[in-house]
Amino acid sequence: MESANASAAALRAKIAATEERLKLLKAQLANIEEKEAEEVEESPVTRKWPLLPDEYKRYGRQMIVPSVGIQGQLRLKDASVLIVGAGGLGCPSSAYLAGAGVGTIGIVDGDIVETSNLHRQILHNSSTVGMKKVDSIVSYLKSLNPHLKYITHPTHLTPQNAAEIVSQYELVLDCTDHPTSRYLISDTCILLQKPLVSASALRRDGQLIVLNSPPLPAGDAKGGPCYRCVFPKPPPTDSVVSCGDGGILGPVVGVMGVLQALEGIKLIVEGRLKEEQEVDGRGNTMLLFSASGSPQFRSLKMRARSSKCVACSGNAELTLEKLPGMDYAVFCGIASPIGILKPEERIEAKEYLELEQDSEKTHVLLDVREKVQFDICSLENSINIPSSSFQGTRSSSLQEGKPSWLPETVRADASIYVICRLGNDSQIVTQKLKEAGLDNNGKRAIKDIRGGLKAWKEQVNPSWPEY
Amino acid sequence: MSLATKAPPGHFSILYFASASSYTAKDTEHLPAPLPVSKLFDRLEEKYAGIKSRVLESCLLTVNLEYVDMPDDGSVGLVIKEGDEVAIIPPVSSG
Ligand SMILES: [Zn+2]
Repeated sequence: MESANASAAALRAKIAATEERLKLLKAQLANIEEKEAEEVEESPVTRKWPLLPDEYKRYGRQMIVPSVGIQGQLRLKDASVLIVGAGGLGCPSSAYLAGAGVGTIGIVDGDIVETSNLHRQILHNSSTVGMKKVDSIVSYLKSLNPHLKYITHPTHLTPQNAAEIVSQYELVLDCTDHPTSRYLISDTCILLQKPLVSASALRRDGQLIVLNSPPLPAGDAKGGPCYRCVFPKPPPTDSVVSCGDGGILGPVVGVMGVLQALEGIKLIVEGRLKEEQEVDGRGNTMLLFSASGSPQFRSLKMRARSSKCVACSGNAELTLEKLPGMDYAVFCGIASPIGILKPEERIEAKEYLELEQDSEKTHVLLDVREKVQFDICSLENSINIPSSSFQGTRSSSLQEGKPSWLPETVRADASIYVICRLGNDSQIVTQKLKEAGLDNNGKRAIKDIRGGLKAWKEQVNPSWPEY
Repeated sequence: MSLATKAPPGHFSILYFASASSYTAKDTEHLPAPLPVSKLFDRLEEKYAGIKSRVLESCLLTVNLEYVDMPDDGSVGLVIKEGDEVAIIPPVSSG
Protein backbone atom coordinates (compact mmCIF):
# COMPACT_ATOMS: atom_id res chain seq x y z
CA MET A 1 0.00 0.00 0.00
CA GLU A 2 2.73 2.39 1.07
CA SER A 3 4.87 1.78 -1.99
CA ALA A 4 1.81 2.13 -4.25
CA ASN A 5 1.14 5.51 -2.66
CA ALA A 6 4.72 6.52 -3.19
CA SER A 7 4.76 5.59 -6.86
CA ALA A 8 1.39 7.35 -7.38
CA ALA A 9 2.86 10.47 -5.81
CA ALA A 10 5.94 10.21 -8.00
CA LEU A 11 3.78 9.87 -11.09
CA ARG A 12 1.67 12.85 -10.08
CA ALA A 13 4.78 14.97 -9.65
CA LYS A 14 6.08 13.80 -13.01
CA ILE A 15 2.79 14.65 -14.74
CA ALA A 16 2.73 18.09 -13.12
CA ALA A 17 6.31 18.78 -14.22
CA THR A 18 5.59 17.60 -17.77
CA GLU A 19 2.48 19.75 -17.94
CA GLU A 20 4.49 22.73 -16.74
CA ARG A 21 7.08 22.05 -19.47
CA LEU A 22 4.30 21.72 -22.07
CA LYS A 23 2.86 25.06 -21.04
CA LEU A 24 6.25 26.69 -21.43
CA LEU A 25 6.72 25.21 -24.91
CA LYS A 26 3.25 26.36 -25.97
CA ALA A 27 3.95 29.87 -24.72
CA GLN A 28 7.23 29.94 -26.67
CA LEU A 29 5.45 28.79 -29.82
CA ALA A 30 2.72 31.39 -29.43
CA ASN A 31 5.40 34.03 -29.04
CA ILE A 32 7.14 33.03 -32.25
CA GLU A 33 3.85 32.84 -34.16
CA GLU A 34 2.87 36.29 -33.01
CA LYS A 35 6.23 37.72 -34.12
CA GLU A 36 5.87 36.01 -37.49
CA ALA A 37 2.46 37.56 -37.92
CA GLU A 38 3.78 40.99 -37.03
CA GLU A 39 6.62 40.66 -39.51
CA VAL A 40 4.21 39.80 -42.30
CA GLU A 41 2.13 42.77 -41.34
CA GLU A 42 5.08 45.15 -41.32
CA SER A 43 6.56 44.10 -44.63
CA PRO A 44 6.51 47.12 -46.97
CA VAL A 45 4.92 45.35 -49.96
CA THR A 46 1.86 44.22 -48.00
CA ARG A 47 -0.97 46.54 -47.13
CA LYS A 48 -1.56 47.16 -43.45
CA TRP A 49 -4.68 45.21 -42.62
CA PRO A 50 -6.55 45.79 -39.40
CA LEU A 51 -6.54 42.09 -38.48
CA LEU A 52 -3.79 39.47 -38.54
CA PRO A 53 -3.94 36.82 -41.29
CA ASP A 54 -4.87 34.19 -38.73
CA GLU A 55 -7.67 36.40 -37.45
CA TYR A 56 -9.26 36.69 -40.89
CA LYS A 57 -9.31 32.91 -41.06
CA ARG A 58 -10.35 32.47 -37.46
CA TYR A 59 -13.25 34.92 -37.50
CA GLY A 60 -14.22 34.54 -41.16
CA ARG A 61 -17.33 32.47 -40.56
CA GLN A 62 -18.73 35.04 -38.16
CA MET A 63 -17.53 38.12 -40.07
CA ILE A 64 -19.54 37.10 -43.13
CA VAL A 65 -22.72 37.15 -41.06
CA PRO A 66 -24.27 40.41 -42.30
CA SER A 67 -24.97 41.84 -38.84
CA VAL A 68 -21.30 41.40 -37.84
CA GLY A 69 -19.07 42.28 -40.79
CA ILE A 70 -15.58 43.73 -40.48
CA GLN A 71 -16.96 46.60 -38.41
CA GLY A 72 -18.46 44.23 -35.87
CA GLN A 73 -15.25 42.22 -35.75
CA LEU A 74 -13.17 45.33 -35.08
CA ARG A 75 -15.59 46.34 -32.35
CA LEU A 76 -15.12 42.90 -30.78
CA LYS A 77 -11.34 43.33 -30.98
CA ASP A 78 -11.58 46.71 -29.26
CA ALA A 79 -14.00 45.54 -26.61
CA SER A 80 -13.21 44.60 -23.03
CA VAL A 81 -15.53 42.32 -21.08
CA LEU A 82 -15.45 41.36 -17.42
CA ILE A 83 -16.77 37.93 -16.51
CA VAL A 84 -17.59 37.67 -12.82
CA GLY A 85 -17.57 33.99 -11.89
CA ALA A 86 -15.57 31.24 -13.61
CA GLY A 87 -18.16 28.53 -13.05
CA GLY A 88 -21.09 26.99 -14.92
CA LEU A 89 -22.03 30.27 -16.62
CA GLY A 90 -18.56 31.80 -16.88
CA CYS A 91 -17.08 28.79 -18.66
CA PRO A 92 -19.37 28.70 -21.70
CA SER A 93 -19.78 32.48 -21.91
CA SER A 94 -16.05 33.17 -21.77
CA ALA A 95 -15.33 30.41 -24.30
CA TYR A 96 -17.69 31.97 -26.85
CA LEU A 97 -16.45 35.49 -26.20
CA ALA A 98 -12.86 34.36 -26.61
CA GLY A 99 -13.77 32.38 -29.70
CA ALA A 100 -15.47 35.45 -31.15
CA GLY A 101 -12.38 37.59 -30.58
CA VAL A 102 -13.28 39.96 -27.74
CA GLY A 103 -9.97 41.80 -27.37
CA THR A 104 -9.73 41.90 -23.58
CA ILE A 105 -11.36 39.39 -21.27
CA GLY A 106 -11.15 39.72 -17.50
CA ILE A 107 -12.18 36.93 -15.14
CA VAL A 108 -13.00 37.35 -11.47
CA ASP A 109 -13.21 34.32 -9.20
CA GLY A 110 -11.66 33.44 -5.85
CA ASP A 111 -12.47 29.74 -5.93
CA ILE A 112 -10.52 26.58 -6.63
CA VAL A 113 -11.63 23.95 -9.16
CA GLU A 114 -13.38 20.99 -7.50
CA THR A 115 -14.39 17.63 -8.92
CA SER A 116 -18.07 18.46 -8.29
CA ASN A 117 -17.72 21.39 -10.73
CA LEU A 118 -16.72 19.34 -13.73
CA HIS A 119 -20.12 18.14 -14.95
CA ARG A 120 -21.03 21.69 -15.89
CA GLN A 121 -17.98 23.96 -15.70
CA ILE A 122 -16.71 22.78 -19.03
CA LEU A 123 -13.44 24.70 -19.30
CA HIS A 124 -12.03 23.07 -16.19
CA ASN A 125 -10.97 19.44 -16.31
CA SER A 126 -9.82 16.59 -14.11
CA SER A 127 -6.21 17.72 -14.28
CA THR A 128 -7.02 21.29 -13.17
CA VAL A 129 -8.81 20.22 -9.98
CA GLY A 130 -7.16 22.12 -7.15
CA MET A 131 -6.05 24.97 -9.41
CA LYS A 132 -7.44 28.50 -9.10
CA LYS A 133 -10.50 28.72 -11.35
CA VAL A 134 -9.22 31.89 -13.00
CA ASP A 135 -5.96 30.16 -13.97
CA SER A 136 -7.69 27.01 -15.15
CA ILE A 137 -10.15 28.96 -17.32
CA VAL A 138 -7.48 31.24 -18.79
CA SER A 139 -5.22 28.32 -19.69
CA TYR A 140 -8.14 26.90 -21.70
CA LEU A 141 -9.00 30.26 -23.28
CA LYS A 142 -5.37 30.91 -24.27
CA SER A 143 -5.21 27.62 -26.10
CA LEU A 144 -8.54 28.45 -27.77
CA ASN A 145 -7.50 31.93 -28.86
CA PRO A 146 -3.96 33.22 -28.23
CA HIS A 147 -4.63 36.64 -29.82
CA LEU A 148 -6.51 38.08 -26.88
CA LYS A 149 -5.52 39.77 -23.65
CA TYR A 150 -6.64 37.87 -20.57
CA ILE A 151 -6.66 39.43 -17.14
CA THR A 152 -7.22 37.34 -14.02
CA HIS A 153 -8.62 38.66 -10.75
CA PRO A 154 -8.18 35.74 -8.34
CA THR A 155 -10.55 37.14 -5.73
CA HIS A 156 -14.23 37.41 -4.96
CA LEU A 157 -15.85 40.65 -6.02
CA THR A 158 -16.46 42.76 -2.90
CA PRO A 159 -17.90 46.23 -2.27
CA GLN A 160 -14.30 47.32 -1.67
CA ASN A 161 -12.75 46.05 -4.91
CA ALA A 162 -15.77 46.11 -7.26
CA ALA A 163 -15.41 49.65 -8.62
CA GLU A 164 -11.68 49.29 -9.21
CA ILE A 165 -12.10 46.02 -11.12
CA VAL A 166 -15.28 46.83 -13.06
CA SER A 167 -13.99 50.25 -14.16
CA GLN A 168 -11.32 48.55 -16.33
CA TYR A 169 -13.98 47.05 -18.64
CA GLU A 170 -16.80 48.15 -20.93
CA LEU A 171 -19.26 45.29 -20.41
CA VAL A 172 -19.95 42.99 -17.46
CA LEU A 173 -21.32 39.44 -17.42
CA ASP A 174 -22.74 38.35 -14.07
CA CYS A 175 -21.93 34.65 -13.85
CA THR A 176 -22.05 34.46 -10.06
CA ASP A 177 -24.11 32.29 -7.78
CA HIS A 178 -25.52 34.37 -4.94
CA PRO A 179 -27.98 37.27 -4.38
CA THR A 180 -25.31 39.36 -2.63
CA SER A 181 -23.04 39.38 -5.68
CA ARG A 182 -25.98 39.97 -8.03
CA TYR A 183 -26.97 43.19 -6.20
CA LEU A 184 -23.33 44.28 -5.81
CA ILE A 185 -22.57 43.83 -9.51
CA SER A 186 -25.75 45.59 -10.58
CA ASP A 187 -25.10 48.56 -8.27
CA THR A 188 -21.50 48.85 -9.46
CA CYS A 189 -22.59 48.76 -13.11
CA ILE A 190 -25.11 51.54 -12.49
CA LEU A 191 -22.50 53.69 -10.75
CA LEU A 192 -19.91 53.15 -13.48
CA GLN A 193 -22.42 53.14 -16.35
CA LYS A 194 -21.57 49.69 -17.64
CA PRO A 195 -24.15 47.49 -19.38
CA LEU A 196 -24.68 44.18 -17.60
CA VAL A 197 -25.74 40.77 -18.90
CA SER A 198 -26.99 38.73 -15.99
CA ALA A 199 -27.70 35.00 -16.19
CA SER A 200 -28.54 32.37 -13.60
CA ALA A 201 -29.57 28.74 -13.39
CA LEU A 202 -30.77 26.21 -10.86
CA ARG A 203 -31.97 22.64 -11.32
CA ARG A 204 -33.87 22.89 -14.63
CA ASP A 205 -34.57 26.65 -14.70
CA GLY A 206 -32.62 29.58 -16.03
CA GLN A 207 -32.99 33.34 -16.32
CA LEU A 208 -31.27 35.85 -18.57
CA ILE A 209 -31.61 39.63 -18.36
CA VAL A 210 -29.77 42.45 -20.07
CA LEU A 211 -29.58 45.25 -17.51
CA ASN A 212 -28.55 48.90 -17.56
CA SER A 213 -28.68 49.02 -21.34
CA PRO A 214 -28.40 51.76 -22.40
CA PRO A 215 -26.03 52.47 -19.50
CA LEU A 216 -27.20 55.96 -18.66
CA PRO A 217 -26.54 57.73 -15.34
CA ALA A 218 -28.89 57.08 -12.42
CA GLY A 219 -31.95 59.28 -12.72
CA ASP A 220 -32.06 59.16 -16.51
CA ALA A 221 -35.33 57.37 -17.19
CA LYS A 222 -34.14 56.34 -20.67
CA GLY A 223 -31.47 54.09 -19.19
CA GLY A 224 -32.09 50.35 -18.95
CA PRO A 225 -33.45 48.96 -15.67
CA CYS A 226 -31.11 47.46 -13.09
CA TYR A 227 -31.35 44.23 -11.06
CA ARG A 228 -33.01 46.12 -8.21
CA CYS A 229 -35.70 47.46 -10.56
CA VAL A 230 -36.63 43.86 -11.41
CA PHE A 231 -36.08 42.27 -7.99
CA PRO A 232 -36.18 45.06 -5.38
CA LYS A 233 -36.53 42.64 -2.48
CA PRO A 234 -34.03 39.81 -2.02
CA PRO A 235 -35.49 36.39 -1.26
CA PRO A 236 -35.40 35.27 2.40
CA THR A 237 -31.89 34.06 3.08
CA ASP A 238 -32.84 30.56 4.19
CA SER A 239 -34.86 30.08 0.99
CA VAL A 240 -31.86 30.74 -1.25
CA VAL A 241 -30.79 27.44 -2.78
CA SER A 242 -27.35 26.97 -4.27
CA CYS A 243 -26.41 24.53 -7.02
CA GLY A 244 -24.59 22.54 -4.34
CA ASP A 245 -27.81 22.09 -2.37
CA GLY A 246 -30.48 22.17 -5.06
CA GLY A 247 -28.63 20.57 -7.92
CA ILE A 248 -28.10 21.75 -11.48
CA LEU A 249 -28.14 20.11 -14.87
CA GLY A 250 -25.02 20.93 -16.89
CA PRO A 251 -26.82 21.79 -20.14
CA VAL A 252 -29.25 24.09 -18.30
CA VAL A 253 -26.52 26.34 -16.95
CA GLY A 254 -24.63 25.81 -20.21
CA VAL A 255 -27.45 27.11 -22.37
CA MET A 256 -27.79 30.17 -20.14
CA GLY A 257 -24.05 30.90 -20.39
CA VAL A 258 -24.11 30.52 -24.16
CA LEU A 259 -27.07 32.89 -24.42
CA GLN A 260 -25.27 35.31 -22.15
CA ALA A 261 -22.31 35.34 -24.54
CA LEU A 262 -24.71 35.90 -27.43
CA GLU A 263 -26.26 38.95 -25.75
CA GLY A 264 -22.77 40.28 -25.02
CA ILE A 265 -21.66 39.81 -28.63
CA LYS A 266 -24.83 41.52 -29.88
CA LEU A 267 -24.26 44.53 -27.62
CA ILE A 268 -20.67 44.82 -28.85
CA VAL A 269 -21.12 44.35 -32.60
CA GLU A 270 -24.15 46.62 -32.68
CA GLY A 271 -22.10 49.33 -30.99
CA ARG A 272 -24.40 49.53 -27.99
CA LEU A 273 -21.83 49.52 -25.20
CA LYS A 274 -21.70 53.25 -25.01
CA GLU A 275 -24.66 55.43 -24.30
CA GLU A 276 -24.26 57.72 -27.32
CA GLN A 277 -24.46 54.77 -29.68
CA GLU A 278 -27.71 53.50 -28.27
CA VAL A 279 -30.53 52.90 -30.70
CA ASP A 280 -33.61 54.37 -29.10
CA GLY A 281 -36.77 52.43 -28.37
CA ARG A 282 -35.16 49.01 -28.24
CA GLY A 283 -36.93 47.00 -25.59
CA ASN A 284 -34.95 44.70 -23.37
CA THR A 285 -36.39 41.36 -22.44
CA MET A 286 -36.02 38.84 -19.70
CA LEU A 287 -35.68 35.32 -20.97
CA LEU A 288 -36.93 32.43 -18.86
CA PHE A 289 -35.79 28.92 -19.59
CA SER A 290 -37.43 25.87 -18.12
CA ALA A 291 -36.10 22.51 -19.27
CA SER A 292 -39.41 20.78 -18.51
CA GLY A 293 -41.61 23.58 -19.82
CA SER A 294 -43.60 23.82 -22.97
CA PRO A 295 -42.51 26.15 -24.43
CA GLN A 296 -39.05 25.90 -22.90
CA PHE A 297 -38.38 29.58 -23.50
CA ARG A 298 -40.53 32.52 -22.51
CA SER A 299 -39.65 36.12 -23.08
CA LEU A 300 -40.92 38.96 -20.91
CA LYS A 301 -40.76 42.52 -22.06
CA MET A 302 -38.77 44.54 -19.53
CA ARG A 303 -40.08 47.80 -18.24
CA ALA A 304 -38.29 51.11 -17.89
CA ARG A 305 -36.31 51.90 -14.76
CA SER A 306 -38.41 51.93 -11.63
CA SER A 307 -39.02 55.43 -10.28
CA LYS A 308 -38.58 53.99 -6.78
CA CYS A 309 -35.31 52.17 -7.44
CA VAL A 310 -32.69 52.88 -4.79
CA ALA A 311 -29.87 52.36 -7.31
CA CYS A 312 -30.84 53.84 -10.67
CA SER A 313 -33.77 56.25 -10.17
CA GLY A 314 -33.62 59.99 -9.62
CA ASN A 315 -34.08 59.33 -5.90
CA ALA A 316 -31.18 56.89 -5.73
CA GLU A 317 -28.86 57.43 -2.80
CA LEU A 318 -26.15 55.10 -3.99
CA THR A 319 -22.76 56.67 -4.77
CA LEU A 320 -19.30 55.37 -5.57
CA GLU A 321 -18.13 56.79 -2.25
CA LYS A 322 -20.78 54.81 -0.37
CA LEU A 323 -20.25 51.55 -2.26
CA PRO A 324 -17.30 50.19 -0.21
CA GLY A 325 -19.34 50.64 2.96
CA MET A 326 -22.40 48.80 1.65
CA ASP A 327 -23.20 45.56 3.46
CA TYR A 328 -24.84 43.26 0.94
CA ALA A 329 -24.85 40.40 3.40
CA VAL A 330 -27.05 42.43 5.72
CA PHE A 331 -29.26 43.61 2.84
CA CYS A 332 -29.77 40.02 1.71
CA GLY A 333 -30.17 38.92 5.33
CA ILE A 334 -27.29 36.48 5.44
CA ALA A 335 -27.61 34.65 8.70
CA SER A 336 -24.67 33.26 10.58
CA PRO A 337 -24.36 29.47 10.39
CA ILE A 338 -27.50 27.91 11.77
CA GLY A 339 -27.26 27.28 15.48
CA ILE A 340 -30.78 27.29 16.78
CA LEU A 341 -30.52 24.36 19.17
CA LYS A 342 -29.06 24.05 22.63
CA PRO A 343 -26.00 21.76 23.00
CA GLU A 344 -28.07 19.11 24.79
CA GLU A 345 -30.45 18.97 21.82
CA ARG A 346 -27.67 17.72 19.55
CA ILE A 347 -25.40 14.71 19.45
CA GLU A 348 -22.23 13.89 17.53
CA ALA A 349 -22.28 11.34 14.73
CA LYS A 350 -19.97 9.01 16.67
CA GLU A 351 -22.27 9.16 19.72
CA TYR A 352 -25.15 8.14 17.48
CA LEU A 353 -23.10 5.14 16.30
CA GLU A 354 -22.97 3.86 19.88
CA LEU A 355 -26.73 4.25 20.20
CA GLU A 356 -27.32 2.54 16.91
CA GLN A 357 -25.31 -0.47 18.03
CA ASP A 358 -27.33 -0.66 21.23
CA SER A 359 -29.49 -3.77 20.84
CA GLU A 360 -32.57 -2.18 22.34
CA LYS A 361 -33.15 -0.05 19.22
CA THR A 362 -35.59 2.20 20.94
CA HIS A 363 -35.16 5.09 18.61
CA VAL A 364 -36.10 6.43 15.19
CA LEU A 365 -33.56 7.86 12.74
CA LEU A 366 -35.20 10.51 10.60
CA ASP A 367 -33.32 11.52 7.43
CA VAL A 368 -34.72 14.85 6.19
CA ARG A 369 -32.86 15.08 2.88
CA GLU A 370 -34.93 15.21 -0.31
CA LYS A 371 -35.90 11.75 -1.55
CA VAL A 372 -33.62 12.02 -4.58
CA GLN A 373 -30.63 12.37 -2.25
CA PHE A 374 -31.87 9.65 0.10
CA ASP A 375 -32.03 7.29 -2.88
CA ILE A 376 -28.35 7.89 -3.64
CA CYS A 377 -27.26 6.64 -0.24
CA SER A 378 -28.89 6.25 3.16
CA LEU A 379 -28.21 4.83 6.60
CA GLU A 380 -29.76 1.51 7.54
CA ASN A 381 -33.18 1.70 9.17
CA SER A 382 -33.53 5.42 8.55
CA ILE A 383 -36.88 6.93 7.64
CA ASN A 384 -36.92 9.56 4.89
CA ILE A 385 -39.22 12.55 5.38
CA PRO A 386 -37.82 15.50 3.39
CA SER A 387 -37.44 18.76 5.31
CA SER A 388 -39.56 20.49 2.66
CA SER A 389 -42.57 18.46 3.83
CA PHE A 390 -42.33 20.17 7.22
CA GLN A 391 -42.87 23.56 5.56
CA GLY A 392 -46.06 25.45 6.24
CA THR A 393 -48.37 25.32 9.20
CA ARG A 394 -50.76 22.73 7.80
CA SER A 395 -48.02 20.23 7.08
CA SER A 396 -49.25 16.68 7.51
CA SER A 397 -45.76 15.66 8.60
CA LEU A 398 -46.36 17.58 11.82
CA GLN A 399 -49.77 16.27 12.87
CA GLU A 400 -50.57 16.58 16.54
CA GLY A 401 -49.91 13.46 18.54
CA LYS A 402 -48.53 10.89 16.19
CA PRO A 403 -47.64 11.75 12.61
CA SER A 404 -48.19 9.08 9.97
CA TRP A 405 -44.49 8.63 9.25
CA LEU A 406 -43.77 7.42 12.78
CA PRO A 407 -43.96 3.59 12.70
CA GLU A 408 -46.79 2.05 14.74
CA THR A 409 -44.37 -0.14 16.64
CA VAL A 410 -42.39 2.78 17.99
CA ARG A 411 -43.00 3.55 21.66
CA ALA A 412 -44.19 6.99 22.67
CA ASP A 413 -40.94 7.63 24.51
CA ALA A 414 -38.61 6.34 21.79
CA SER A 415 -36.05 8.98 20.88
CA ILE A 416 -36.00 10.61 17.46
CA TYR A 417 -32.65 11.50 15.86
CA VAL A 418 -32.70 13.84 12.90
CA ILE A 419 -30.02 13.83 10.23
CA CYS A 420 -29.48 15.60 6.89
CA ARG A 421 -26.61 16.20 4.47
CA LEU A 422 -24.71 18.97 6.25
CA GLY A 423 -26.57 19.48 9.52
CA ASN A 424 -28.63 22.62 8.85
CA ASP A 425 -32.04 21.33 7.79
CA SER A 426 -31.91 18.73 10.55
CA GLN A 427 -31.75 21.48 13.18
CA ILE A 428 -34.77 23.24 11.73
CA VAL A 429 -36.76 20.01 11.60
CA THR A 430 -35.70 19.09 15.15
CA GLN A 431 -37.07 22.40 16.34
CA LYS A 432 -40.29 22.02 14.37
CA LEU A 433 -40.90 18.55 15.77
CA LYS A 434 -40.50 19.92 19.29
CA GLU A 435 -42.75 22.88 18.58
CA ALA A 436 -45.38 20.46 17.27
CA GLY A 437 -45.29 18.66 20.62
CA LEU A 438 -43.76 15.41 19.42
CA ASP A 439 -41.47 15.36 22.43
CA ASN A 440 -44.46 14.45 24.63
CA ASN A 441 -43.62 17.16 27.15
CA GLY A 442 -40.02 16.04 27.38
CA LYS A 443 -40.70 12.29 27.68
CA ARG A 444 -39.32 11.74 24.19
CA ALA A 445 -35.85 12.99 23.28
CA ILE A 446 -35.59 14.64 19.87
CA LYS A 447 -32.02 15.38 18.83
CA ASP A 448 -30.13 16.69 15.86
CA ILE A 449 -27.07 14.81 14.63
CA ARG A 450 -24.51 17.57 14.45
CA GLY A 451 -22.90 18.07 11.05
CA GLY A 452 -25.15 15.56 9.31
CA LEU A 453 -23.92 12.83 7.01
CA LYS A 454 -20.78 14.82 6.31
CA ALA A 455 -19.84 14.32 9.97
CA TRP A 456 -20.89 10.68 9.70
CA LYS A 457 -18.31 10.24 6.95
CA GLU A 458 -15.63 12.06 8.92
CA GLN A 459 -16.26 10.42 12.29
CA VAL A 460 -17.73 7.01 11.55
CA ASN A 461 -17.60 5.69 8.03
CA PRO A 462 -14.96 7.03 5.61
CA SER A 463 -16.46 4.99 2.76
CA TRP A 464 -19.74 6.92 2.92
CA PRO A 465 -20.23 8.33 -0.61
CA GLU A 466 -19.89 12.08 -0.61
CA TYR A 467 -21.89 13.57 -3.48
CA MET B 1 -44.99 17.81 -18.12
CA SER B 2 -46.38 20.86 -19.85
CA LEU B 3 -46.66 24.44 -18.74
CA ALA B 4 -49.09 25.38 -21.43
CA THR B 5 -52.29 23.47 -20.76
CA LYS B 6 -55.27 25.67 -21.47
CA ALA B 7 -57.34 26.78 -18.51
CA PRO B 8 -60.90 25.39 -18.34
CA PRO B 9 -63.79 27.87 -18.60
CA GLY B 10 -63.94 30.27 -15.66
CA HIS B 11 -60.27 29.76 -14.79
CA PHE B 12 -56.86 31.27 -15.42
CA SER B 13 -53.50 29.49 -15.61
CA ILE B 14 -50.75 30.18 -13.16
CA LEU B 15 -47.15 29.19 -13.86
CA TYR B 16 -44.69 28.60 -11.05
CA PHE B 17 -41.01 29.08 -11.83
CA ALA B 18 -37.94 28.09 -9.82
CA SER B 19 -38.53 28.26 -6.04
CA ALA B 20 -42.27 28.87 -6.56
CA SER B 21 -42.39 25.55 -8.35
CA SER B 22 -40.49 23.78 -5.57
CA TYR B 23 -42.69 25.34 -2.89
CA THR B 24 -45.97 24.37 -4.52
CA ALA B 25 -44.58 21.12 -5.98
CA LYS B 26 -46.27 22.20 -9.24
CA ASP B 27 -45.23 23.77 -12.52
CA THR B 28 -48.69 25.07 -13.24
CA GLU B 29 -52.32 24.92 -12.14
CA HIS B 30 -55.66 26.56 -12.86
CA LEU B 31 -57.42 28.91 -10.46
CA PRO B 32 -60.92 30.42 -10.65
CA ALA B 33 -61.21 33.72 -12.53
CA PRO B 34 -61.80 36.60 -12.25
CA LEU B 35 -59.42 37.49 -9.44
CA PRO B 36 -57.95 40.91 -8.66
CA VAL B 37 -54.14 40.72 -8.48
CA SER B 38 -54.38 42.34 -5.07
CA LYS B 39 -56.07 39.13 -3.84
CA LEU B 40 -53.74 36.71 -5.60
CA PHE B 41 -51.10 36.40 -2.88
CA ASP B 42 -53.74 35.81 -0.17
CA ARG B 43 -55.38 33.16 -2.32
CA LEU B 44 -52.04 31.39 -2.77
CA GLU B 45 -51.22 31.74 0.92
CA GLU B 46 -54.46 29.85 1.73
CA LYS B 47 -53.35 27.02 -0.53
CA TYR B 48 -49.66 27.03 0.35
CA ALA B 49 -49.12 28.25 3.89
CA GLY B 50 -46.02 30.40 4.22
CA ILE B 51 -45.56 30.98 0.48
CA LYS B 52 -46.18 34.71 0.73
CA SER B 53 -43.16 35.58 2.84
CA ARG B 54 -41.00 32.68 1.70
CA VAL B 55 -41.45 33.14 -2.04
CA LEU B 56 -44.01 35.62 -3.35
CA GLU B 57 -42.78 38.85 -1.80
CA SER B 58 -39.50 38.76 -3.68
CA CYS B 59 -41.04 37.61 -6.98
CA LEU B 60 -41.75 39.22 -10.28
CA LEU B 61 -45.39 38.86 -11.23
CA THR B 62 -46.57 38.82 -14.83
CA VAL B 63 -49.96 38.50 -16.48
CA ASN B 64 -49.79 37.40 -20.11
CA LEU B 65 -46.01 37.99 -20.10
CA GLU B 66 -46.40 41.62 -18.99
CA TYR B 67 -45.14 42.88 -15.63
CA VAL B 68 -47.80 43.65 -13.07
CA ASP B 69 -47.34 45.79 -9.99
CA MET B 70 -48.94 44.72 -6.76
CA PRO B 71 -51.07 47.76 -5.85
CA ASP B 72 -49.60 49.23 -2.66
CA ASP B 73 -52.27 51.89 -2.14
CA GLY B 74 -55.07 49.53 -1.16
CA SER B 75 -56.72 49.70 -4.57
CA VAL B 76 -57.93 46.60 -6.41
CA GLY B 77 -55.45 46.90 -9.28
CA LEU B 78 -55.58 44.74 -12.35
CA VAL B 79 -58.14 41.94 -12.46
CA ILE B 80 -56.96 38.55 -13.73
CA LYS B 81 -59.46 37.33 -16.32
CA GLU B 82 -60.55 33.92 -17.54
CA GLY B 83 -57.90 32.41 -19.82
CA ASP B 84 -55.11 34.71 -18.63
CA GLU B 85 -51.66 33.32 -17.97
CA VAL B 86 -50.12 34.47 -14.71
CA ALA B 87 -46.48 33.75 -13.92
CA ILE B 88 -44.74 33.80 -10.55
CA ILE B 89 -41.06 34.44 -11.25
CA PRO B 90 -38.71 34.32 -8.26
CA PRO B 91 -35.15 35.49 -8.71
CA VAL B 92 -32.78 32.65 -9.52
CA SER B 93 -29.37 33.63 -8.23
CA SER B 94 -27.19 30.56 -8.56
CA GLY B 95 -25.22 29.62 -11.60
ZN1 LIG C 1 -32.90 50.17 -10.76
